[in-house]
Amino acid sequence: MSVPLVPKLLRAHLRELANDNKRLDDRGQWDSRNLEIEHSVLPRAEGSAKVRIGDTIVYAGVKFQIMTPYEDRPNQGGLMCSAEVRPLAGRKYEPGPPSAESIELGRVVDRGIRESGCIDVDSLCIIPGEKAWQVILDLFAVSDDGNLFDAFAIAGIVALKQAIIPGERFGVGEDSKLEVNGTPLMCSYHKVGGRFVYDATFREELGGDERIHITLGDNGNVHSLQKGLKGIFTTSEFEEIMGHALDRTKEIREIINTL
Amino acid sequence: MGGYGDVRMIDDNGMRMDGRGPGDLREIFIETGVVPVADGSCRMIWGTNEAIVSIYGPMEAHPRKIQRQDSAVLAVEYNMAPFSTTDRMRPGFNRRSKEISKVTKDALESVVLLELYPRSKIQVNIEIISAEAGTRCVGLTAASVALADAGIPMTDLVVSVASGKINDIVVCDLNKEEDNYGEADLPMGILPNTGELVFLQMDGDLSQEEFKQAWDYNMNAASKVHEIMKKALTGGDGE
Amino acid sequence: MSMSKSADAPHRLETKLGIVIPGDDLGEINDKLAGHGVLEINGRFTAVKRGILSEKEKVVSVEPIHSKYTPRPSDLVIGYIEGCTNNIWFVDIGAPFNAILPMSLGPSKAEFGGARSVIDIGEAIICRVQEVEETHSSVVSMKGMGLRKINSGIVEQLPPHLIGRIIGKGGKSLSKLKSNSECRIVVADNGRIWVDGDISGISKVRYTISNLANENFGGEN
Repeated sequence: MSVPLVPKLLRAHLRELANDNKRLDDRGQWDSRNLEIEHSVLPRAEGSAKVRIGDTIVYAGVKFQIMTPYEDRPNQGGLMCSAEVRPLAGRKYEPGPPSAESIELGRVVDRGIRESGCIDVDSLCIIPGEKAWQVILDLFAVSDDGNLFDAFAIAGIVALKQAIIPGERFGVGEDSKLEVNGTPLMCSYHKVGGRFVYDATFREELGGDERIHITLGDNGNVHSLQKGLKGIFTTSEFEEIMGHALDRTKEIREIINTL
Repeated sequence: MGGYGDVRMIDDNGMRMDGRGPGDLREIFIETGVVPVADGSCRMIWGTNEAIVSIYGPMEAHPRKIQRQDSAVLAVEYNMAPFSTTDRMRPGFNRRSKEISKVTKDALESVVLLELYPRSKIQVNIEIISAEAGTRCVGLTAASVALADAGIPMTDLVVSVASGKINDIVVCDLNKEEDNYGEADLPMGILPNTGELVFLQMDGDLSQEEFKQAWDYNMNAASKVHEIMKKALTGGDGE
Repeated sequence: MSMSKSADAPHRLETKLGIVIPGDDLGEINDKLAGHGVLEINGRFTAVKRGILSEKEKVVSVEPIHSKYTPRPSDLVIGYIEGCTNNIWFVDIGAPFNAILPMSLGPSKAEFGGARSVIDIGEAIICRVQEVEETHSSVVSMKGMGLRKINSGIVEQLPPHLIGRIIGKGGKSLSKLKSNSECRIVVADNGRIWVDGDISGISKVRYTISNLANENFGGEN
């Protein structure tokens, strides 16, 4: 990834805006951009979703493979989540092996989904010790205008909820719906101009500091946290964004449940 | 390729399994401006193929050692997304993608006026998010639309189509099943205004007559695809 | 491209002949000349860019719908400093290639090794394109009226072909925007716009700019 130049004026301006409780695009501190969710958009995937937040656009696709269960867990299948941010999505992304940034993206989304237990890995077992389903969730960025994390997390869970296990194609019984018990969702916050804001744009990310990602389950339980980039934050700042994340994940969950 | 002749892909009336005649194309849809952060972009659906292409540049070429003093550098990345195929495509280095990136670059370099932008770089990113058959053709065609969308000067668009042979009959624009059981494949990259070629590959087995027929099918198909590209770029369908 | 310096050059008054795309045949040459986005191929005019075809004073040209900024001598541009050596700054002016600002054309002399104390990496400057070489390296200068380092406000961005819209006929739209927002606004030829004033005024201007950028220029005809 080539590091883009951070204009000094931008950083100074973001601080002035923050002092006035304003943002570059006139949103409030905790407001989201327009969120659009579509599902079943990829003909070759067993489950898929497309999410658009402002000018950020991502796809998620679910594929299945047959795996041999791990020796210490003979009754369990597996879940793998990988994110790719290829040069398609922005001029700062370069071809080649995944950057540390896209590996972080994939792993943070992975932890949120895995730790929430919404995928029952025991139900993925076909023959104990011999055969089990491996669920692979691939996250793919088309356009990065900031906050890829939340877009990926939403697209990921929506794609999983649509997924059909292709039993027939693999000769292991009939096709069946992948059971997903719960809707873990992530909310991401960036320190911009000295305060945290929700759903930062690319420009805010460019001129901002650290970011915090929170994944919450249906009952508000915390499933994954991640602090990224250089910066320092306080307990009270964290409490404030946790409060917002509780409300916002509920709102998004309602949208997803009515799809 | 297998199953020579043991699967019937064309009925006695010359109709193919998806209802097309031998010279017919699959359905094509094109829209531009689909990657808001890019300088130009295109989404192309061709049958159940789907490609998204973004263009960045012309911009300063980094690092300096890749710069050319007399022209721009055209960098082409062709890639298939992991969920684009029936069996998951493992991300990472892939010899097939490298070759397609290269022949696509060779084709586009033949039309883009690179000499107007010395020392800069034009980045072309082709991502196949759903693959049926003929993704290299879709990628190349969509890339030329995206370049035009980005305002990059070029002498012509490039239309890429493939014809092939199934059950000893030459047909245009093979779909997935036809490609799997087909006996030959002839993809071409055609400049629609002049009928000149910038891209050519072939594999399989064609007699001289069959080859001529496949060539003609591609030439005819090129002008049909060109119409759709033109509509998408001038604010017709899909804008 | 029109060589007129005023951004509201009268290109809108010409006969619009519709949108053309690369490869389109634009007819015989006769006594006409090829303008921007047009090439002579095999004795005929051919469009090489997507845009609106126009013919003015025997010059056939294509006004592109999207295009990258191409520097021309005497253009006013806003640049970001990307790097420097002891006597040269490298300036991103949003063109296909960076420009250089030699110390001799900078705002003031620096001690040896003190270039960054005069203009630092990441800072923005208002400058003028001095020359564009054949191999497209360009030189910018800060010697002249109003050319300086930007110390306050913010630089916004608009596709260069849309700057005529923010300026308006005879600069009317721009003066209106200036008085409404009580901001200082400098519109540069490379599509970058410096806005300085109080925070709410700047926000007003940014809102206007982003509305302009989001309008679909291609759908106009």
